[in-house]
Amino acid sequence: MATAMRLSRMEMLPAQRQVLWGWPAVINFALGGLGAGWYVVAVLAAGFERSPGVTVASWAAPVLVLAGFAAVAAEAGRPLRGPRVLMRLRTSWMSRELLVGMAFVLLVAADLVFPLRLHRAQAIVAAALLALAQGFIVRRARGVTAWDVSIMPLLFLLSALVSGAGAYLLAEVAAGRPPIPALVGAVLALVVVAFVAWARYLVWTSEDSYTRAVAPLREGRSVLGIDGAGYGLPLLFGLLALAAPAVAGPALGLVGLLLIAGQVYAKARLILAAGRLRPITLAIVPSRRRSS
Amino acid sequence: MTRWGMAIDVRRCVGCQTCTIACKQEHGLPPDTAWRFVADCEVGEYPDVRRLFLPMQCMHCAEPPCVPVCPTGASRQRDDGIVWVEYDACVGCGYCAMACPYQARHLVHEANGYFEIPTPSEAAQARPERHGVMTKCTFCKERVDDGLGRGLQPGVDADATPMCALACIAGAIVFGDLDDATCRVSRLAADPRAQVLMPECGTEPRVYYLAD
Repeated sequence: MATAMRLSRMEMLPAQRQVLWGWPAVINFALGGLGAGWYVVAVLAAGFERSPGVTVASWAAPVLVLAGFAAVAAEAGRPLRGPRVLMRLRTSWMSRELLVGMAFVLLVAADLVFPLRLHRAQAIVAAALLALAQGFIVRRARGVTAWDVSIMPLLFLLSALVSGAGAYLLAEVAAGRPPIPALVGAVLALVVVAFVAWARYLVWTSEDSYTRAVAPLREGRSVLGIDGAGYGLPLLFGLLALAAPAVAGPALGLVGLLLIAGQVYAKARLILAAGRLRPITLAIVPSRRRSS
Repeated sequence: MTRWGMAIDVRRCVGCQTCTIACKQEHGLPPDTAWRFVADCEVGEYPDVRRLFLPMQCMHCAEPPCVPVCPTGASRQRDDGIVWVEYDACVGCGYCAMACPYQARHLVHEANGYFEIPTPSEAAQARPERHGVMTKCTFCKERVDDGLGRGLQPGVDADATPMCALACIAGAIVFGDLDDATCRVSRLAADPRAQVLMPECGTEPRVYYLAD
């Protein structure tokens, strides 16, 4: 017992940056979330009706999701075996991501051909599941300290909705249909919630290895790009749009751009900079310098 | 029920990397890929510092996080506990490597050799089915299975023992059946000084380390 109490967990191998998942994975997570979120926001904003905004999202969102899948397939060592990815639906979130992604595309296509509220309702469920599945993929990566946290699926869902809201605002402004103030208010509330979740994620545990793993997300460049440009500025310009309707159009367009860019950048930093493999530790008795 | 495992006495390990080379040779691994290696670690803080060699490999966990995440089912666990990859089913997505807390999985990208033209040895050991897929330590399951088929005892008989354990010059690596109480590996695993790497991950590794 005395020996056990003297044991100390020593870091034998330091954390190393993962190198297998690069930009293609980032593109998949970014475009998948963007497409899924855009469709959800567009359908909810239209109250499940078939608005012009929903039509635009119905064409763009599946393309974004499929482009994400194509990007990540290019990263795989044997991309031609892609259909095999559906083999382990019972245990693998990567299998589930592909399934719900394909279901989303098919449901949106069905709605384009046979417009039905039921199709739209099913499609937004599939879209939400797609965003969650991507979060669970990252969450189940037990070898990466900064990813293996239970808030990850929620983080991905909120990220998808935020970037999707950005795409929706941008598309509506570009089409000369500035959203109503209530909708802008709802988007800003969503941005606040997403920011709170992100801030909570950065301090999820006080473990030293975790703190070091998320350190790249707390340094200057990330703070500027994610917290500042991705959350702060959109809130500022969103409030400006509400306060000054004369500049609402350009301001909301800028909000949309910043929301998309901020979330893409956040995912890039999460995968590429914070993707560090766990340090290897061993419990050993600390040595003591011999007295001479 | 057989449950293959390993005990590594880090007090005996001299860091010679013979096990690393024996593994590479046995499995014909390409450059930049090593299913096992010996980490040269500096432990402690000045002035209380010592050097320690830590052989690293797949832990063949009882609860391997790499298996359930695999989207194709290529990553598998046998009844005797050996975790392995069915190369023909692997898509090479790398998810298992992200799920492994022990950095034990490796993607072999392409058929590269040490020179511009493959040496006769490299050509003889070329394994095209391993290109573009995930690879890892298999506990030399081919040797183990072949040995068992010939009535040999893995961990005791050389022809049925994983190459790393066989090649270790210090006798630091012991292989055998953890469920066989008479087996040396099970006695070492039961030693109070035996421990697994990062038990907090809940993976129940079957490679035990003996350290002071």
